[in-house]
Amino acid sequence: MSGKDIEIKCLSSLNEYLSACDNSVNAVYLSQIPQVCKDHPCVLGIDEAGRGPVLGPMVYGTAFCPINNLQLLETLQCDDSKALTEEKRDDIFGKIGDNRNNMGWGIEVISPNFICNNMLSRSKYSLNQVSMDSAIGLIRAAKEGGVNIAHIYVDTVGKPEKYQSYLLSLFPEYKITVAKKADSTYPIVSAASICAKVSRDHALQVWKFPEEIGNVLHKDFGSGYPGDPVTKKFLVDHCDTVFGYPQLVRFSWSTAGNALENTAYHVEWEDIEDEDQKKPENNTSITSFFKFTKQSSTEKKQHEFFNRRCLKSTTEL
Amino acid sequence: MSIRIQSGKRSTATNLQTKLQSVPFKIHADCDAKVKKYFETYVKEKENHLTASFRGYPLKGKVIDVPDGYKGLVLHESMKPMTEKEDRNFYVIHTFDKLTMWNWDKVPSKNDAMIQALDWIDIAEALHSPIVDE
Repeated sequence: MSGKDIEIKCLSSLNEYLSACDNSVNAVYLSQIPQVCKDHPCVLGIDEAGRGPVLGPMVYGTAFCPINNLQLLETLQCDDSKALTEEKRDDIFGKIGDNRNNMGWGIEVISPNFICNNMLSRSKYSLNQVSMDSAIGLIRAAKEGGVNIAHIYVDTVGKPEKYQSYLLSLFPEYKITVAKKADSTYPIVSAASICAKVSRDHALQVWKFPEEIGNVLHKDFGSGYPGDPVTKKFLVDHCDTVFGYPQLVRFSWSTAGNALENTAYHVEWEDIEDEDQKKPENNTSITSFFKFTKQSSTEKKQHEFFNRRCLKSTTEL
Repeated sequence: MSIRIQSGKRSTATNLQTKLQSVPFKIHADCDAKVKKYFETYVKEKENHLTASFRGYPLKGKVIDVPDGYKGLVLHESMKPMTEKEDRNFYVIHTFDKLTMWNWDKVPSKNDAMIQALDWIDIAEALHSPIVDE
């Protein structure tokens, strides 16, 4: 089952799309690109939702509309998504869908498993890098879809100057503004922020647990912010002593890691331990060569071939 | 001390129906685990390997077949000896003919000891099989 053929026009089709997605991998959705966005130069905003919580996906959102129709965003009352109530955000999201001939939008749902797999990989791929790559992916998708992009506004992760010059090096053809709190400054970023936030909230509402942990609903795991008592309780109640948590949870967050240490079985990793404790080579002191010692043990040693393969003759066990 | 591996005629050892997973970590526990729901459900096939996760860590794996003419055994020791000199008895409780080997974020390859260990089977064959004069 996949959400590929579903067109999101309203909240219920958003839910339908999110339900059809595989929770353990990322999903990118881009709305139909209206003709006006191909014909006229557009502003394009980018923002994220759900960066901090210990559970659920992080969602990147983008929205775009022609510069000659910026008043549309005002009529939609796009504002910082965090300053709006959930109902208001849902309402605006519905209106963005109604205006699909005047503006477009897109999201990338970044699965919690993708986030921790990357943070816990051998070559650590940070959350900031995941974020930037997602933003870049959305810009590319809009570009390939034919959006006549003129100016890109991005809510920053990390230092705005650095991020901005990085984006400019990838997209020299556009004007790019990266700023802190861009979601409350630029209405197009607010619109992107609303798409992201609404999608994250609904992804949590329709979340299915392949782990079959019973009928657990959004209200049972809460916002995912580490301070939320409902989330805390969820982490206690749904800890599997072997596997830890369902993949809704971001294991790489210290909240989850600490809770696991207290309740789940201790796990020792082969490679990670090896890498952490690389002992210096046993240095032989120069005086040792002059000491009289009994000839070193005549114990039969097995060939390196077997040692390397961890093979042992069983008669010597 | 000697080691006995027992699988008599009355042995109840059966070929494992469940999948055998070799993981790159040690869980300090001895208990049943919900492998199907928490692990197998997320195993995905990529071009030349499998992927899965354990507690957020990315795993890459490959299915390894037990070589022809050999059989994998799962042994159980019901009584651990108190001293090193005592004999040890292992019982064959299951047999298997393949297993999935997992590494932390690294596709299993010839660099892994377990895969290298299987080299011995061919070499032993060459070394120890009787020489037949033509």
